[in-house]
Amino acid sequence: MIERLGLLVFQPAQPGSGWAVILLVGLPLLLGILGAICRPSRGWPAVFLGLLPFMVAVWLLQRVREHGVQAWVLELGSLTLHWRADALTLLLFMLTQIVALASAAYAPAYLRAVEDASKGSLVWLWPLLGTLVTSLSLIWLAADLLALYIGLELMGLTAVGLMLLPGRVEALAAGMRYLLLALVGSLAFLMGVTLLLGAWGRLDLVGLAAVSEPGPVLWVAMALLSGGLLLKAAAFPLHAWLAPVHASAWTPVSALHAALVIKASFFIALQLWLVLVPDAAVAARLVGGMGAAAVIWGGLMAWRAAKLKDVVAWSTVAQLGYLLLGFPLLIGTASVAADIAWEGTWLQLAAHSLAKAAMFLAAGNLLLATGVSRVADLAGASRRFPLSLLSFGIAAISLIGLPPSAGFTAKWLLLHAALAAGQWPWLVVLAIGTLLSAAYVFRVFRYSFIEDAPLHDYRPVPWGMDLIALVVASSSLLLGLLAEWPLALLRLAGGAS
Amino acid sequence: MSQAWLPLATLATSLLVVPAIFALPERAWRARAVLNLSAALVKLALVALMVVGFYLGHSFEFGFTVVDGVRFLLKVDALGLTFAGLSSLLWLATTIYAIGYLEDSPNRKRFFGFFSLCIASTVGISLAGNLFTFLLFYELLTLSTYPLVVHRGHPRALAAGSLYLRYTLTGGLVLLLGVVALHALVGDIAFGDREVLADLGPDYHPLLFGLFLVMLLGLGVKAALVPLHGWLPRAMVAPAPVSALLHAVAVVKAGAFGIVRLVYDVYGIDLSFELGLLTVLTVVATITILYGSIRALAQEELKPRLAFSTVSQVSYIVLGISLFGPFGTIAGLVHLMHQGLMKVTLFYCAGNYAEELGIHRIDELDGAGRRMPLTSLAFTVGALGMIGLPPVAGFVSKWYLGLGAVQAGMPWVIAVLVTSSLLNAAYFLPILHRLWFRPGPEHGRGEWPEERHLGRLETSGWLLWPTAATALFSLLAGLLAGMPFSPLDLAAIMATGEYLR
Amino acid sequence: MPPLDDVLLAMPPVLLAALVLFDRHLVRACSLFVLFALAVALTWWWLGFIWLALLEILLGAALTGACLFHALGISPVGGAPQTRLTHWKDPVVLTWRRGLGQSIPALAALGMLATALADMPASDSIAATRWSGQVLVGLGLWAFALHRHLLRRLLAFNIIGTGIFLVLMTLVGEAATAAGHGLVMTGLMVALLGTVLGALLIRRLDTLDAQRVVGSESGGGAP
Repeated sequence: MIERLGLLVFQPAQPGSGWAVILLVGLPLLLGILGAICRPSRGWPAVFLGLLPFMVAVWLLQRVREHGVQAWVLELGSLTLHWRADALTLLLFMLTQIVALASAAYAPAYLRAVEDASKGSLVWLWPLLGTLVTSLSLIWLAADLLALYIGLELMGLTAVGLMLLPGRVEALAAGMRYLLLALVGSLAFLMGVTLLLGAWGRLDLVGLAAVSEPGPVLWVAMALLSGGLLLKAAAFPLHAWLAPVHASAWTPVSALHAALVIKASFFIALQLWLVLVPDAAVAARLVGGMGAAAVIWGGLMAWRAAKLKDVVAWSTVAQLGYLLLGFPLLIGTASVAADIAWEGTWLQLAAHSLAKAAMFLAAGNLLLATGVSRVADLAGASRRFPLSLLSFGIAAISLIGLPPSAGFTAKWLLLHAALAAGQWPWLVVLAIGTLLSAAYVFRVFRYSFIEDAPLHDYRPVPWGMDLIALVVASSSLLLGLLAEWPLALLRLAGGAS
Repeated sequence: MSQAWLPLATLATSLLVVPAIFALPERAWRARAVLNLSAALVKLALVALMVVGFYLGHSFEFGFTVVDGVRFLLKVDALGLTFAGLSSLLWLATTIYAIGYLEDSPNRKRFFGFFSLCIASTVGISLAGNLFTFLLFYELLTLSTYPLVVHRGHPRALAAGSLYLRYTLTGGLVLLLGVVALHALVGDIAFGDREVLADLGPDYHPLLFGLFLVMLLGLGVKAALVPLHGWLPRAMVAPAPVSALLHAVAVVKAGAFGIVRLVYDVYGIDLSFELGLLTVLTVVATITILYGSIRALAQEELKPRLAFSTVSQVSYIVLGISLFGPFGTIAGLVHLMHQGLMKVTLFYCAGNYAEELGIHRIDELDGAGRRMPLTSLAFTVGALGMIGLPPVAGFVSKWYLGLGAVQAGMPWVIAVLVTSSLLNAAYFLPILHRLWFRPGPEHGRGEWPEERHLGRLETSGWLLWPTAATALFSLLAGLLAGMPFSPLDLAAIMATGEYLR
Repeated sequence: MPPLDDVLLAMPPVLLAALVLFDRHLVRACSLFVLFALAVALTWWWLGFIWLALLEILLGAALTGACLFHALGISPVGGAPQTRLTHWKDPVVLTWRRGLGQSIPALAALGMLATALADMPASDSIAATRWSGQVLVGLGLWAFALHRHLLRRLLAFNIIGTGIFLVLMTLVGEAATAAGHGLVMTGLMVALLGTVLGALLIRRLDTLDAQRVVGSESGGGAP
């Protein structure tokens, strides 16, 4: 299982790829600073420059395909930091780039349309965005706990900063709550790392996998690490901070946050479980149970939510539950089931990232155009904003998991994995989740199809914003049919070496 | 020789129209009409090309891997081709009809966009080469019909739409679970690979039986098998062309078609017989036929009566399949096409009455035959066909059903057929009587609920000609049943393929 | 039994932390926090981590203290303004029952920690420090659960963090000192940044709150 994550006993990296990694991590930050200086008023320069790190990733992916996993050790005096790049991490990096690019392209037009965007907060947007992408790259590439800790903290603080930018009272209050919980989460993570370091004297994942042995220390450490990460990932009983934070944040920031920030915590948690406790089936089922509760509770809350953004935010809680089902399916199961679940989990992650980003962007367009925030006020929207609603709908198809979409293909794989592992309850969970998500999505549509609705004042949204939402939504649809390409790369990285 | 592009092009024709329609402005109705009609014609031509190719022995297949072990597969076989042909023919007719029906009404862009998507999914269903692909388009059909059902946007339509989704999405989910379980058991099964399941051995038979029931539950929702039919009468609030399409080719037929695929191309008729699945189907179909007919009798409005008639008629298809033997198969398959032609005619007529005269209730139809002779003639053809009188197509279906029942050794089914035909007559003949023999507003008694003069003829030509054409087709399908390329001929070819291998 | 001087050295941080967390007057609590950070720096120095002691003085005492006072609206030139915040009392009255009820999560965490640490026996010279670290974590968690005031929660967060650092440095052996230093430095930076963000937020919320109160008062009185 650990090979799948690209965590191999040291393997010399190809010359030149070290520079590529520095570019991967450093470029977004540089671009962020550049953005703060130039403050682009159009989206396309951001897209154009943002393609650079993407190209580097493509180049590196080619390298990985030819020579296998690339790993490096960074030595700072007596301190060593471990890194690796395999197909999974590079694909996650590309996903990050795609979502970040969409947000960056969307942001300038959005900020012009929002009145309360003060000048000061505009300056901060770009560097924070760059830092966030850099921290995500750190998380994907890091192969030891210190580097992961640095990345996680950088990401957490940047995310809080981004959420605070609107500067309204609600945003600040929600942001404060988020900050406190994120800080508590990082303390728990730190405590877990402390115990691991104290017990085995090393922090690199490959080494820890080799020397760690089950016992109270490992279990307490894992409980602390998972607790902290799941708090940051808004997993079920620890999810309360999510909806208020999204309700008042800027749309492109919400999109980035729901699509990537939450996923990074999930990624670290799953990685740690696979490395340190690959046979803890009972505990993994417990996490799966949390996932099931998240699917049901999140779905119910999204169904009941009055505001459109709350619907989308609660749906994130529910969808994260699907990802948590990956724990019981991957940990302590036979390789037949685990192989399928492995692909299903990452496809689900990508599908949800793209679909949720598109859904936030589309919802943002609807809110901007109508000037209202409640679902019930969207009555008659289908006639006036067909394009925004279409993007919303396409994203929703993927979220519900209806074909042909990446969400559907991922659900297919998860169902298959649950059957192969003989874990029937997850079938029921996935089924209920599908019905609930259909319920909350079609509630929005039901309002939008009302014909005899009173006419609100509305303003047209720039077509570029609609286009970005539509493109991202369509990509989540296309990924469903073309899933074999990225999944084949995953298999290559895992199986070949 | 294998040509991959033809099925793909057929699918793409209706699929690519969708973004084009959405890109056109709402006002450009002329461009939209041209686009729709030309696409429908192109598709019809492509299907004709495939039919010819198929007769010449070419095979058409297109596929790629979606994820490891799961393929997206388009494949042409006799069954799929017939269904594709039916859907392309009725798409053309219904497009013409819809253009006339929706003249000057709002949201036409949305309507035609989803209408094309609906047809694209029907084509996908008919050309699907395995259960995964079938499921893909089956669910896409659900999605694309929802905006059509709620098109009017009033509370009744919205409530019907919600009900429709509740039924079909749950059904789709159940089907998905069944399909995934089957996939987990034996991997990907292309339609026609009957040996895969037949070779599994008797240990698996209870499991296979259970899986079949699960999938039947999923498909039965769309096929409106009792007790899963609740959505169908409520979905009648949709505009007439939508109802026509829903009942004739799209939704209800997709369910029935799925059952046909399941029995013949996944399980195989022998295994289905061995497992006792056919008996289950016979019982379900019998109950549905009788229940639908009785409920239809009690309806006072035209469209709900037609809807319950659909509930009962679609189960003839299921009944035909469930009768073990070539004649039963022929009956089921031929009725798949005949019912489409006849039911679409009846719904067009109902739409014509509603548009031209404002008639919704049956007791308002008195004397309408004199005011709208062509429409009423078409209605008469359809209704007689439904009852099963010669020479209309419905007679052929019922004849073969009877033969099939005898061949399968289930003579009691004939009693069911007779009862159902009597019930059909009981709810259709009074309508015909009112149309032709009762004096009405045209004879100076009372007045029409809401009369509009839509065209120089009895109503707008856009509405009239498709109606006449489909009525003519259902008549010809019965009259010329013995000719090559007739539905009966195709069904006989398929049945031979099924039993003589 | 740990030597007496170690025990004596471990006492001041714990006592100061308890005072910081449960003092009802906020300005006094913040001043005590600075003292607490200095006491911790002394502990670092005593344990032989000179660099950490210096960092603690700079980041923990000076900068964090400055942030806390900024949040209270106290500046070296202007003196202490008499805003509501300075005398702000928790809206939730502290009762014995509530106090005990909120101690359950802290006790649970401490129990888990003790189970894990039982496997890693400490030498006499650092046992006292490790115990003080655990007590700090427990106290901080209790205070975090108990208080609703944002500034008090920030204080609690800082104290939990310090407790973890103390436990961490007693756990790492000779081989992993560098990694331990790295973790503590990152942790200190995070704590500082978190405090800065939190302080700015509290200040801004307070201003907006005051504006809203003023706005509603003048709005109510105008007509």
